[in-house]
Amino acid sequence: MTASRTAGVPRQKGGPSASPSQIVAFVTFMLPIGALLLFWEGVVRFGLADATILPAPSMIVVRAWELLNPAKAERSLLLVHIGVSLWRALAAFVLACLVAIPLGFVLGLSTGTYRALSPLLSLLLPLPAVAWTPIFLVAFGQGDLTIIGVCFLGAFFPVLYSTIQGVRGIGVHAIWVVQSMGAGPLDLFRRVLLPGALPALISGLKLGMAHSWRTLVAAEMLAALSYGLGYMIFAARSYMDVSTMFVGIVCLAVIGLLIEHVIFGTLEKMTVARWHSSGKVRGTR
Amino acid sequence: MSAADLAGAKPLSGERAGALLRNIITRSGVIVTLLMLWEVAARLGWINTFLFPAPSNIAATIWTQSGPDGSPPYAMPMHVLRSMIRLLAGIALAVVIGTVLGVLIGMTRWARMLFQPLISIFMPVPTLAWTPVLLLLTGIDDRTTIIVVFIAAVFEVIYTIVAGIEMMNVKLFWVARSMGASRLQIFFRVIIPAIFPYLITGMRLGTGYAWRALIAAEMLAASSFGLGFMIYDASEYMSTNVIYAGIILIAVLGYLLENVLIGRLEAATTEKWGIQSER
Repeated sequence: MTASRTAGVPRQKGGPSASPSQIVAFVTFMLPIGALLLFWEGVVRFGLADATILPAPSMIVVRAWELLNPAKAERSLLLVHIGVSLWRALAAFVLACLVAIPLGFVLGLSTGTYRALSPLLSLLLPLPAVAWTPIFLVAFGQGDLTIIGVCFLGAFFPVLYSTIQGVRGIGVHAIWVVQSMGAGPLDLFRRVLLPGALPALISGLKLGMAHSWRTLVAAEMLAALSYGLGYMIFAARSYMDVSTMFVGIVCLAVIGLLIEHVIFGTLEKMTVARWHSSGKVRGTR
Repeated sequence: MSAADLAGAKPLSGERAGALLRNIITRSGVIVTLLMLWEVAARLGWINTFLFPAPSNIAATIWTQSGPDGSPPYAMPMHVLRSMIRLLAGIALAVVIGTVLGVLIGMTRWARMLFQPLISIFMPVPTLAWTPVLLLLTGIDDRTTIIVVFIAAVFEVIYTIVAGIEMMNVKLFWVARSMGASRLQIFFRVIIPAIFPYLITGMRLGTGYAWRALIAAEMLAASSFGLGFMIYDASEYMSTNVIYAGIILIAVLGYLLENVLIGRLEAATTEKWGIQSER
């Protein structure tokens, strides 16, 4: 269930240096999207759909421009919403990594602890992080603390799980060999455990950030006091400002894609893809 | 990342029932110990019992809320039932529409060209971001939550079915067609049996997403019943007992749905058809 959410998104490379076949692929990729937008625009323009409930794409673009307020960039409302959301998601993600990665190494290395704790983990893993929101609301009230707490839980379990899997996937022989050659615990960690677990760890990080971002939307709708994309969407609902809602949805999707494909995609290409072509640290256990 | 392999679940082959019992005891050992520690700490006043009510209190809440003395009577089963109905309705929609779209995308060129770009722009949108829009379109009723469940599950179903069709042997079609099968016959006799294991896998993964999305959507959009509504409503009355009861039910039901119910179904179908649908 890890790759599925990101799969099916073909990587597109347009640009002047693209070969003709890539341009054709890009055009055929964009064609249905353009057609849908045109159809949508037409339906609204000809009065077949109520523009107050389903605004035309052009209206959404206009609204986005207004919110972005490029004339006064330092007071751009949209940028503030995006910035606050990104800050919350990142803070939660970093905190989750700080706790989950060391814990994952401990659980991955000691089979006994892992065995003892795994029933608890398997009960907590399918639990949606948003379900903790009411507890946080009672404890901390609305605000950043609640939102970051919920997103922390959203990111924590994927990172923990991947770290455990990564460490457990390292062959015990690799550890024995290095130990028999007289490696200390630090050497073992730096030369065997970390490189061995890193592929799984990186995909766990990617998943954790994606979960943090997805959880953020719900948490902000439920618990944000002032800023954030989720808050923007939910607040716009009270004013029937559907254009703003669609602006928020587009922003959420685009930023999510950027995080997943640009940041973590390059990270994966730089690390995992390169190592896997040379040699894998995999074995039986 | 199914929780089943996290738990290290293995089919019990020739082992005796005693091993199973011992397995259950060791596996639940930590949970029971934690609960007992929690109980003692709460009783002795070491932890804030408002934020962390004793497990026995939570259990008592579940018990009274499940009976005629709950407010409203039989509240807990009603919440669970409503959540389940919404989940089932959304999943059923996702399976039907997802199968049709998946088969179209897998089998025809035009559908692939048409739908793949659309899917790849809609998939990155966090499912819950649609909730406010749906609320405006349909109002606060079951349709909003059902559509959210549908959106959460449908991409998974489409994806696994397309993968299933790509794994199919072209010769199957040649044989069927050369024997004079119609398109409808090919669909029901060749494609559906071949993709069925994939469909179950897609359903399991989709149900996992859908369950998470449902709880959040109910917190945002339900007006009377549903587990998500229950815990959010309880947070406004600060009744932490009910919130914990809800979280426990959500966790247990989520686990049962994803691993036991559909997991069994998946194991049975892959065993029967002998196809490994690896994801």
